[in-house]
Amino acid sequence: MAAPGFPAGDFLVLDGVARHYGTVAAVRDVSVRVAQGEFLGLLGPSGCGKTTTLQMIAGFETPSAGTIRLEGRDLAAIPANRRNIGLVFQSYALFPHMTVAENVAFGLEMRRIPKPERTERVRRALDLVHLSHLAGRFPRQMSGGQQQRVALARALVIEPRLLLLDEPLSNLDAKLREEMQVELREVQKRVGVTTILVTHDQNEAMALCDRVAVMQAGSIVQIDEPWRAYDAPADAFVADFLGRSNRLPVRAAKGMAQVGGHAFALPEPLAQARGEITLAIRPERLRIRAAQEAGLPGRVHSRVFLGGFWLVRVDTAAGDMMVMVQNTGTPPAAEGEAVTLDWDPHSLRRMDAAAPEPIQGPIQAPVAAPARGAA
Amino acid sequence: MSRSRFAPAALSAPALLTMGAVLLVPLVSVAVLSFRGFDFDKGILPVWSLANYAELANDGLFHEVMARTFRIATIVTVLCIAVGVPEAIIIHRMAPRWRGLMLLVVVGPLLVSVVVRTFGWMVLLGTNGLINQGLDWIGVPGTPFRLMYTELAIILGLVHVMVPLVVLAVWASLGRLDPALARAAESLGAGRVAVFRRVVLPNIMPGILAGALMVFCLSASAFATPQMLGGRRLKVAASMTYTEFLNTLNWPLGAAVAVLLLLAILAATLLWTGLVERRALRRLGVG
Ligand SMILES: Nc1ncnc2c1ncn2[C@@H]1O[C@H](COP(=O)(O)OP(=O)(O)OP(=O)(O)O)[C@@H](O)[C@H]1O
Ligand SMILES: [Mg+2]
Repeated sequence: MAAPGFPAGDFLVLDGVARHYGTVAAVRDVSVRVAQGEFLGLLGPSGCGKTTTLQMIAGFETPSAGTIRLEGRDLAAIPANRRNIGLVFQSYALFPHMTVAENVAFGLEMRRIPKPERTERVRRALDLVHLSHLAGRFPRQMSGGQQQRVALARALVIEPRLLLLDEPLSNLDAKLREEMQVELREVQKRVGVTTILVTHDQNEAMALCDRVAVMQAGSIVQIDEPWRAYDAPADAFVADFLGRSNRLPVRAAKGMAQVGGHAFALPEPLAQARGEITLAIRPERLRIRAAQEAGLPGRVHSRVFLGGFWLVRVDTAAGDMMVMVQNTGTPPAAEGEAVTLDWDPHSLRRMDAAAPEPIQGPIQAPVAAPARGAA
Repeated sequence: MSRSRFAPAALSAPALLTMGAVLLVPLVSVAVLSFRGFDFDKGILPVWSLANYAELANDGLFHEVMARTFRIATIVTVLCIAVGVPEAIIIHRMAPRWRGLMLLVVVGPLLVSVVVRTFGWMVLLGTNGLINQGLDWIGVPGTPFRLMYTELAIILGLVHVMVPLVVLAVWASLGRLDPALARAAESLGAGRVAVFRRVVLPNIMPGILAGALMVFCLSASAFATPQMLGGRRLKVAASMTYTEFLNTLNWPLGAAVAVLLLLAILAATLLWTGLVERRALRRLGVG
């Protein structure tokens, strides 16, 4: 399938792509290389330009600058209906006057596929999303999850070179969304189609994607495997967008750091730091110890039981710290109890690029994204 | 339970009674009148008879008038659809600031009194009217053409009034159309024509059909425009009723014409909704 003349990792290449609406820059500068068969997540707060980027790839928006290449070919001159790119809209955009089977068959009709083959491919596509039994229904007679699967089947049946998904799961309730995530991932792996998933749900992106690209205000801040982006965020924005993160303002000197009367050695990458710096640490990397042990002293402010773990908020001289404690059958320190916090210094990340505020409680994206469940 | 069952009826009773009074009473009176006799000397006779209907059944002029009425209504409807649907679509695609202005221009004719508007057409279409002057000026042979007092004049005048109705009806259904549908179709490989024929058109069909029905009914029962542009000779059903009432003073006969016109329009409407519209609406899950 891969045409010769471009490196395997350069199936889809966006190079300096921008889109301006008058003086507003919806997309400022997006450059990304997507490998064939890859599942890329495009992640970011509301209004950061995810949809606009996707629409440019699909051919419904024209970039103000930059180029988009698919299999080495510049897409600029190719109209949307010739790109052979499957697109699943946030609203699904199923044709209301067509049955499920007719919806799925539409793309094949446009390709003038003869009727017998069409019927067969529609049947297979509906099988893939477990909807064969509803082929004769109209979209309005189906649940959100079913409609979403029809939209997916409709996009997949044309065997697109690229599959673009614009927040396809955002209209579903939590349980259905999880089911659909698993299904989506399975289908994508089985079909092997290169896929870009737009979402502002960091959990969804991390659960589904080979790599995530985190966008902020029209630019990509970081592209990495989900675990790498989570563990080694490029900056404070990424750190806070991908899960929760505590801030530790410390005074560093000679490879040592001091915070709230607690001194500890800085690991190698941070050892050169001098003066007032801010470190970040994930809640699950903090440990709660008895009061007399070495560490950052504090007092439990509150604790919340979340099934698999407890979320404990500890007041310290360095500010509030969120600690995630695995549920092992015995509750952690109670409210009001004096404790110390301890950590492996290797879990610390330097986070000096002005973060607005230490993050407390559920993560809030800078531009009002709806709050999601716990990480 | 019983309260909630009777509440809708009770609440809508005042409106129903008012509607009944202002609509049903005159209609019934006209229907009753159409069964009365008439004498030129004695006026309306207090008898029951089908004489008026029998007279109309054998009246070649009446047949001609009815045929003309429905011919004009059909042609006007077709033309209004042909003009109004593209018009609505084009305006819908305009930039927002032009859209409002153009919609106002389209609805404009509805804001002007029928008489004034039709008078404008008389000025244009007259023997010494602008159109004939223009044709003469560019040297078209055979001027002046007789444009006034023709079916063409009536049709032009009616289309002018009725097009906004189609535009508004289609406009409403275009507003309900998810713009993502067209993009979805395009991403599936559909060109402009296929997007329109397979996606846009089926979804605005209810608007088109509703607009067509309105235009047809209003054209078939139109009075002022045919009266002014058709003159004395080219009568339609409504102007014939008018003549019977006010010139001949044969009210029962005029009433019979009115009743037959009403029944014909009703039949056409039922046929239309039954055969065409219901199918289109059912497909879209509206009806
Ligand atoms: N047609 C337009 N005219 C002007 N501004 C626009 C237009 N479309 C988008 N924008 C702006 O561009 C920015 C990016 O929009 P976009 O729809 O790409 O965001 P998004 O990341 O998809 O957000 P969401 O998560 O809410 O869907 C937004 O600030 C938006 O207001
Ligand atoms: Mg979006």
